[in-house]
Amino acid sequence: MKCLLDGMTAPGKYFLIVLAVLVAGCSHTVRVDGEFPQPIGDAHPLTVGVYLSEDFQKFTYQENRDDRDEWNINTGRAQKNLFETVLGSMFKETINLNQYPTDLPGGVDLVIVPEVRELQFTMPRETRVNIFEVWIKYDMHAYDPQGEAVANWVITAYGKTPTAFLKSQEAALAQAINVALRDAGATLYTGFERVPELQALIANKQRALTMKEMETSE
Amino acid sequence: MKRLIVMALAMLASGCTTVVIDEYRRSSGELALGDSVVILGRRHSSEYETEPDLIDCVGKTLHNPKAGINIIPEQQFVNALYPWFEPRTAPMHIKSLDKLMDNPEVRDRMEKYGVKYIVWIDGSTETTDSAGSIGCSIGTAGAGCFGFGTWDKESDYEASVWDFRDQELSGKISADAQGTSYMPAIVVPIPLIARVQNNACKGMAAQLQEFLLPPQSASR
Repeated sequence: MKCLLDGMTAPGKYFLIVLAVLVAGCSHTVRVDGEFPQPIGDAHPLTVGVYLSEDFQKFTYQENRDDRDEWNINTGRAQKNLFETVLGSMFKETINLNQYPTDLPGGVDLVIVPEVRELQFTMPRETRVNIFEVWIKYDMHAYDPQGEAVANWVITAYGKTPTAFLKSQEAALAQAINVALRDAGATLYTGFERVPELQALIANKQRALTMKEMETSE
Repeated sequence: MKRLIVMALAMLASGCTTVVIDEYRRSSGELALGDSVVILGRRHSSEYETEPDLIDCVGKTLHNPKAGINIIPEQQFVNALYPWFEPRTAPMHIKSLDKLMDNPEVRDRMEKYGVKYIVWIDGSTETTDSAGSIGCSIGTAGAGCFGFGTWDKESDYEASVWDFRDQELSGKISADAQGTSYMPAIVVPIPLIARVQNNACKGMAAQLQEFLLPPQSASR
């Protein structure tokens, strides 16, 4: 690079610097660091392992289209916080797994593995509505201790935030993503029991626990 | 004299706003000692968003523990009851509260907060029209702007007051505000801003106070 600059004339150097500033000006980086509240409600009587892959924990959405600026949106840390917090409150016991499918601890009824399927966003000037909007879609996978698929379901999340005076595009988008992640947590929490296979699993576990209680009381 | 000039300038430097408040009351407010009110924004529509700063403004204007109005901040309440008051899960009708109260933890937390009223505010402030143009230029002799710009803003909000303990709709308050802002620029732009959303907030808060604390209880 130094050699390249040495070989250039002064106007050439200025042109290169201006070009670099212009290119940098069209690139946006957003890092979402959300903290999420613990859900309140009854815990399902299951011991669940949660595996958040490295890709999931470091997820960055990159977009570089001709009709849009370049965007790098890192939601990995925030979605790790979200899934750990929400899944941690949903079950009798939750174990965060560092690896899967190997070294699965004993007593686990189910292993949950989320994946990001897609992320989309729109800016106010694109929709002519005065809000930033974000959609995130997650593929949820649930496996039994033997690694067999128990259920697969999809979580769609939506978040929006109004444009605010003196707020940067990046800050507004990060806020909309946090709203979308909260929505994902709400859908995960309230929708888990509605997945037929999981509903059956919870019912079976509840029945087994009741039987066991009856046997011990006799 | 200086104070008068400052006041006159402040009045001149803001555009005009008109606010119309309507009220429909089914029962009178009956806040007892230790009761709380929570003010929440409706965020289910994809076309607009009830602004969090409007909810914050109404809450802060109304909050007066000495007079008997204790407001729980929106974010604190929504976090404490996560995920039951999110845009997707929040009860849309008062009858849906019954189902929510089947959850003992939700019921306990609502009782711990001493919630008597839930006020749902739905609406937004939008720029409805704009005209004029301002041009700015920089030259060797200096910089300056010339022109004239004007824009209209309109607020439309409706507050539904739910009596949480009696599980009934206590009433509704609507606030419609309109205002025109001006920006003449002769070398320097001079903004004359109509504070439409802020005036809608103040109007709604004053009416809500009257609603929640009727005159006889306010004079206690």
